[in-house]
Amino acid sequence: MTVPLIFLTFFGAAALWFAIVVFRTHSMVRSALALLFSQTAVGAMFLVMQAEFLGVLQIMMMATEMSVMAIFMVMFMMDPGGLGEMEMTHQKKRSLWAGGIGFAAALALAWAGNWGPEATVIPQAARQTELLGIELLGRSMFIFESAGLTILTAMIAATMVAIAPEKAKQPKTVPQKTAPQHKGHSHDH
Amino acid sequence: MSIAAPLAAVLIGAYLVAVLERWSVHGRFSLSAPAISALALLGRESITTRKADALFFEAGPVLLLVAGLLAVAVIPLAPGLIVTDLASGALFLNAALAYVLVALIMAGWGPDGAYGMIGGWRFLGQFLGYAMLIVMPITAVAMRAESLMTTQIVQSQAQLWNIVYQPLGFVLFIIAAVALAFVPPLDLPVAGGDLAGGVEAEYTGARLAILRLARMVIILALAGATATFYLGGWLGPVLPPWAWSALKTLIVAAAMLSAGRFIPRIREARFLELCWKLGIPLSLANIFLVGVLVLVVPL
Repeated sequence: MTVPLIFLTFFGAAALWFAIVVFRTHSMVRSALALLFSQTAVGAMFLVMQAEFLGVLQIMMMATEMSVMAIFMVMFMMDPGGLGEMEMTHQKKRSLWAGGIGFAAALALAWAGNWGPEATVIPQAARQTELLGIELLGRSMFIFESAGLTILTAMIAATMVAIAPEKAKQPKTVPQKTAPQHKGHSHDH
Repeated sequence: MSIAAPLAAVLIGAYLVAVLERWSVHGRFSLSAPAISALALLGRESITTRKADALFFEAGPVLLLVAGLLAVAVIPLAPGLIVTDLASGALFLNAALAYVLVALIMAGWGPDGAYGMIGGWRFLGQFLGYAMLIVMPITAVAMRAESLMTTQIVQSQAQLWNIVYQPLGFVLFIIAAVALAFVPPLDLPVAGGDLAGGVEAEYTGARLAILRLARMVIILALAGATATFYLGGWLGPVLPPWAWSALKTLIVAAAMLSAGRFIPRIREARFLELCWKLGIPLSLANIFLVGVLVLVVPL
């Protein structure tokens, strides 16, 4: 067993362990950060496999994404700290089935898929970055550009939905006679 | 290459940043004060809160220090005087500093205290503002160097420093750096006046000492990154290369720390608004301008 293989196994096991912790803990912040460290371990696996750019990118992106997810989980869950021992799961049978089928499909794909010949010569890290750039601006351009456009559309739509319309901002309980007149400008607090 | 020299440089650098921070707050220059403060902190009792999330409480300050040290690892002090010259060094710096956010959320959430928790989440709000302002100017710097290697980025400035070649990027980057290092006026996570220390509120003794040290290392890393990306790194006449790097880094650190003396604290919502409505369009304009310059005036 070679040294890279030992590291690869270690980080793989760490990724799996943190993925299990996501569901074992009652704390929403712990759960979100466990998912982060699971993804960081996957990033470390990329580094072991000498895919430097992909590894660093994975480690960077996940830190910020999972932190943003954590605050949404804290905002929306009733017992974010998990100290109340509250049951926060639902549709358990369906989730188990969906998870099981997904896992089986992933395994089948991993085993049955044609992965092509194993790379014997690994390009230098700087060359890899260059090749990735050429890939993104060549063969895979359409996929990445349409994904980017979809995300941008979703972001704009989400922001539009989140902004309350001008009418909704006006207090309805105040009678029209006594309400101060704010013509020409609106107060934003 | 021996790791001892860069490590010693980080320790000395962090200490000098602590001296500068004290000067920026109290207006007095004292070389011994940080050492005395550190000794006092180490000698103090370490108090923990009730119902703390012990794992996050203990891991937060350590992760903050690790993030700072990893970021410093890709900053060159002189040719050959760098811990690791990664092919994606500029990106790695970002990746390491992304964990400042994670560490502050952990340290804020961990103690189960209101001030800490608000401080931690405040940093998330601040992060949403500065995130793009740190990545996009680095993209423009990498475009000129045609590399993400920090040593290549320094060498690309042999003819003209990036502060002159892309001044807009420099301004945006330094604002983002101040926000990332959470120094005044963007010190919302610790906000001494209105949040009783914020993330630092529940930490005492050795844990607080680690938290403070980590902050100094992060300021040092960002000042070093600014010197590397915009001020020509080790390039300069007469003095040896390492001296130029050290001098530029300390000048940037002093500038970052003294900004808080003249500008009032900025609320995270206001900062976010400024960053998204003004900062991001300017960052995109910077990338476009540098792209044109690289093609037309390849200096």
